[in-house]
Amino acid sequence: MKAAIYVILVVLAAIAPFFIPEAFVYILGLSFLFIILVVSWDVMVGYTGQVNLGHTVFVGVGAYTAALLQSPVRLQHLLGFTIPKVPIFISIISGGIIAALIGFFIGIITLRLKGYYFALVTAILPLVFMQTVFVWRKVFGGEEGFSIGLENSLSNTILGKYYIALIIMVICVLSMLFIVKSQIGLKFKAIREDEELAESIGIDTTKYKVIAFIVSSFFAGIGGAAIIHYRITVSPDLYDIPLMLLIILSAVIGGLGTIYGPVFGAFIIYLAKNWWLKEILSNLLKIAPIPINDDMILYLMLIVVGILMPQGIYVELKKRSWIAKKSNSSI
Amino acid sequence: MIELVLKIIVFGAVVSGIWALVASGFSLIFGVARILNFAHGTLFVLSAYFGIVLVKNIGVNNYLAFILGILFVGIVGVIVFKLTISPIKTHEVMVVIVTLAIALLVEQFLLLIFGEHGISFPSLVGGIQNIGGIKITNIRILSLIIAIATLILLEFFITKTKTGKMITATSQDMEAAMLMGIDVDRIYLITMFISSILAGLGGLLYSQIFATTPIVSVKALIYAFAIVILGGLGSLRGSIIASFIVGYVIVVTITFLGARWSEFVMLLTIISILVVKPTGLFGVEE
Amino acid sequence: MWKVAIVVLAILVCIGVAAAKDKVVIGVIGPMSLPEGQAEKNAVMLAVEEINEQGGILGLEVEVVVGDTKLNPDSATAEFRRLATVENADMITGGFSSGVMLAMMETMAETKTVFLADASSPAHPAKVAENYEKYKYWFRISQNNGTTFAWDLADMLDFLNANGLNIKKIYVIRDEHIWTDAVMNDLKPLLEKRNIEIIKDVQVPKGYTEYEQLIDEAESLNADLIMPILAIAGTGDVLAKQWGTLKPKVMLAGHDLAAIDPGFFEKTDGLANYEIFIADGGALVTAPPTEMCKKFIEAYKQKYGHYPESHQAYGAYDAVYIYKKAVEEASKAGEQDPFSPDVVVKYLEKYDPENPIELTRTIAFHKNHALAWGDNYVRNWISQWQDGKQYIISPKTVANGELKIPPWLAEEEQKTPETTKATPGFGALIAIAGLSIAWLRRKTK
Repeated sequence: MKAAIYVILVVLAAIAPFFIPEAFVYILGLSFLFIILVVSWDVMVGYTGQVNLGHTVFVGVGAYTAALLQSPVRLQHLLGFTIPKVPIFISIISGGIIAALIGFFIGIITLRLKGYYFALVTAILPLVFMQTVFVWRKVFGGEEGFSIGLENSLSNTILGKYYIALIIMVICVLSMLFIVKSQIGLKFKAIREDEELAESIGIDTTKYKVIAFIVSSFFAGIGGAAIIHYRITVSPDLYDIPLMLLIILSAVIGGLGTIYGPVFGAFIIYLAKNWWLKEILSNLLKIAPIPINDDMILYLMLIVVGILMPQGIYVELKKRSWIAKKSNSSI
Repeated sequence: MIELVLKIIVFGAVVSGIWALVASGFSLIFGVARILNFAHGTLFVLSAYFGIVLVKNIGVNNYLAFILGILFVGIVGVIVFKLTISPIKTHEVMVVIVTLAIALLVEQFLLLIFGEHGISFPSLVGGIQNIGGIKITNIRILSLIIAIATLILLEFFITKTKTGKMITATSQDMEAAMLMGIDVDRIYLITMFISSILAGLGGLLYSQIFATTPIVSVKALIYAFAIVILGGLGSLRGSIIASFIVGYVIVVTITFLGARWSEFVMLLTIISILVVKPTGLFGVEE
Repeated sequence: MWKVAIVVLAILVCIGVAAAKDKVVIGVIGPMSLPEGQAEKNAVMLAVEEINEQGGILGLEVEVVVGDTKLNPDSATAEFRRLATVENADMITGGFSSGVMLAMMETMAETKTVFLADASSPAHPAKVAENYEKYKYWFRISQNNGTTFAWDLADMLDFLNANGLNIKKIYVIRDEHIWTDAVMNDLKPLLEKRNIEIIKDVQVPKGYTEYEQLIDEAESLNADLIMPILAIAGTGDVLAKQWGTLKPKVMLAGHDLAAIDPGFFEKTDGLANYEIFIADGGALVTAPPTEMCKKFIEAYKQKYGHYPESHQAYGAYDAVYIYKKAVEEASKAGEQDPFSPDVVVKYLEKYDPENPIELTRTIAFHKNHALAWGDNYVRNWISQWQDGKQYIISPKTVANGELKIPPWLAEEEQKTPETTKATPGFGALIAIAGLSIAWLRRKTK
C-alpha cells in the first residue's frame, strides 16, 4: 500500500515539469538531491540511534571530490600530477566512495564512544573540513568555491537535469530502503532499541554501527557529488551548520527511522526554504517590517518541534499516545 | 629569541583569558545539569550588543552598561533555559539541536538588525603598557586580570559556599541530591545564571579588544565547545587548562606559520588529542 | 476530457505570449546583511523612485525586485535566476564578492540578462573578452579592476614620500582571496621600480582579529607602513582600533573597505584617526566628483537618514540611470525592441572612453566592459580620516584636505624607556601568573 503511494508520487514528479515554470523545475530537481542527504542521515540516526552531527562532512567531501575530478588544474595542485576529466557518472560514484572511506575512518575511531560523545565529536568535524577549504584555497577555492563549467553539468537543459536528479534519487532511496529492510537493517534497529542487549545477544555493535556509517556516508557523498553536477558550483556551504540543521529539521519532521518520512520531510522543508517561505515572507514584510527572514522561521520550527517532540514526530504520532511518551520531560 | 618567547607567552595569556571565561561557563552547566548549551555563544555576543545599544542609543555610562549587559544576559540565559531546555533536558542530543537552532535564529536576527560589520563596546580603559619592549594594551591586561579573578571567585563559590556545595552535589549525583532535600530545579537555574554571566562577561571584554559581529556567536561557540571537549566534559579545571592550550596554539601558529593557519591548526590539535583520548584531557568517564 | 486540457493549455500559452510589456523590472542583488548590499538596494530604490516621478522609462513604470546573495554562490545563483526568470527583470545590478560574481556570470549567460555589476577581479572582464557572445551582458560599473588598485596604491606611496615621509619598507596585511592576489601581482613590479621592499606579506582569513600581534611584528621589523588590502575580512575596524590603541611607529595606509563607511570613525571609537585609505568607486560622501553625485548624496541622506554606507551605492544608482539612457537612445534610434538585452548591450557599449557619460561619476566602458580608470574617469581617491571626517588628500584635482601625520609618529624615537623588567605592569603579570600556577597546583593535588 505504502509502496503504491510512492510509485504514484514518482510518476507525478515525472510529469510535473510540464506544468511548472522552469525556475521551479530547477529547485524541484535540487530538492530530490536534498532528499538523498536527509535519507542517508536517517539510515544512521534513525536506524542505529547514533546521532551524527557532522553529516555535512560527507556531503562536502563527495561534492569537492566530484568538483576536483572535473577540474584537472586544481587537482594537480593537490596531487602533483594530472588526471584528465572523468565522465560524470564516475565522478559522482567517486564522491560516494571517498566519502564512504572517510566515513569508515571516522567511524572506527569515534563509534567506540557512547551516546552523546559521538554526537559532539562529529559536530566538530565539519569545521575542520571547512578550514581545509580556506587553507588550501588553490585547490578548494576558498569561501566562494569554484565553478566546474557548464559543460560538466548533469545535462544541458534544466529538464534533463531534473530527470537525472529524479532517477538518482529514486535509485539511492530504493537502495537504502533495501539495506534497512534486510538482515543488516534488523541489526541496526536492535542497536537502536537497546545497545547493551544487542551486545549481549552477540551482535558486534561497533561493526554494525560502522557499516551503517559507511552506508550513510556513501549516499551522502553521492548526493553531494550530484548536487555539484547539478548546480555547477561548489562552495563550503555544503559543509556548514545551516545545512546540517536543515537536514535535521527535515528528518525530525518527516520522522526518524522510516526512510519514507525523511523523503517527505526533506521535500517539504527544502521547497519551503527555497520557494514558498520567501513568497509568504515578502508579502508579509510589505505589511509589517519585522526583522525576520526565511531561515529564522525554519529554525523556529526546529525549536518548537524539538521541544514538543524530542523523539521525532513520526515516532510520537505512531505511538498515538504521545502524551504518555512525554513522561520523561518535566514541564 | 628570548624576546620572541616572551612575546608568545604574553600574547598567549591575554588571548586565553577570555576563552577561559567562556569555556568554564559552558562546562559548568554541563557538569551540573548535563546540558550542552549550544546557544552559549549567543549569550557571548548578546551582552555586547545590549551594552552597546545602552551606551550609543540611550547614553548610559560605560561602566553601568557593562554591568547591565552582563546581568541582561544572565536573565536571558535563565529564560531560555526555563522555556526551551528544561522540558527536554533528558534528551541530550535534542538539547544540542534545539540550542543550536536558537543560536542560529538569534544570529539571523542580529544580522538583520545590526548587519554583519562589527561594532565595539567603548574600552573601559585605554592606553598601553610597555613591558620589556612588548606593547600590550591595557584592556588586554585588564581582561586577563578580570578573567583570572572571576575564575578564582567561581572556584571559591563552588567549594566554599553553601549554594556552591549544593551545585557540586547535584553535579555528582542528581538523585542523591534531591533525596537530601536540595531543590535541584533551583540549582539548575542558579547554575544557568552563572554560566550565562560568564559568557556575557567574556563577550563584553571581547567586544572592547576586538569587535562583535553576529558571526562571532558561532565562533565563540566553536571555541567554547572545542575547548571544553579538549579539557574533558565535566571538568572545570580541564576547561581552563584547555583554553590556555588553545590560546597558545593560536598565538604560536600565527607567529610561525602565519595567520591563515591559526584556526585550522587549533582544530586539528583538538581532533588529534581526541583521537588519542576521546574523553578529553581530564575527562570524566560516565 | 484531455482535449479540453490541451485547449486550455494552448490558451494559457497564448495569453502568456501576447501579454504586452507594461512595466520595467530592475533587479538588485547583493549581500543584504552587509552595508554593501543595503547600499545597492537603497540606491536603486531611490533612483527608481526619482525616475518614476518623471514618467518612468519610455513611459513605463519601473519596479524594483531584490535578491540576497548571502555572500555564497549557491544562494546568489538561485536568486539571480529567480530575479531573471520568475520576476522577469530587464536589468540586474549589484554583486559584491568576486567569487560570487563568477558564479552569477554563468547564470547571467544562461538567462541573458543585462548585468551592471560590482566586484573587482580582472577575471570578470577577462571572461567577456574571451567569450564575448556568451558574457557580453556583463558590465562593471561600480569600480575599477583590482589591478588599478595597484596603481592607486603605488600612487599613494609616491604621494606620501613626496610629502615628508620616507616609506621604504611595508608590511602587507591582506584578504586571503583571489582579488588580493591579482592586486599583489601588479603591485610588486611597481614597488620594485620604486625601491620599496615588502618585508612581510600576511594573508588573513575572513573574520580574523588578532592584529595586535601583527602590528607588533611590523614595528619590530622596522616597517614604515602597514598596508592593509582588505575587503572580505570584514575586520578592518579591529585593525584600526588596535593600531590606534597601540600607536606604533608605523603608518597605516592602504585599501580597507571598512574605512570608506562614514560611520567608521565612530565604530572604532575615534581610533581610526589618521588612517589613510583609498576610496573605491571614485566618490566619497565628503567629496562628490559631479553635481549629480552631490544631489544623490543629499537625496539619499534625506530618504534614509544617513549617507550611503558604501561606494556600491554610486554604482547601483548610476546603473539604473545608464540603463534608462541606453534604452532611450535605442528607442530614439528606431530600435524595434529597445528593451531587448542584445540591443541594450549595443547602446551601453557606446559609452566608451571617447564618449563617457557623466552620472554620479564619469562612466566609460572598455571593450571588455571594465570601467575606464583615470583622473577624469573613475579611480580610487587617496583619503584620510582626520578628526572624525574623511578628506581626500590626493590627487590635486579633487583634494579637499592635506596629509596629517599621526602625532606619535612625529615624536622622537624613544627606544624603550622605562621598560625594564621592574615595571609595575610586568610585575602585575608575574604576580598573576604565579598566583594562577599556585592555585592550579593546589587543585591538582
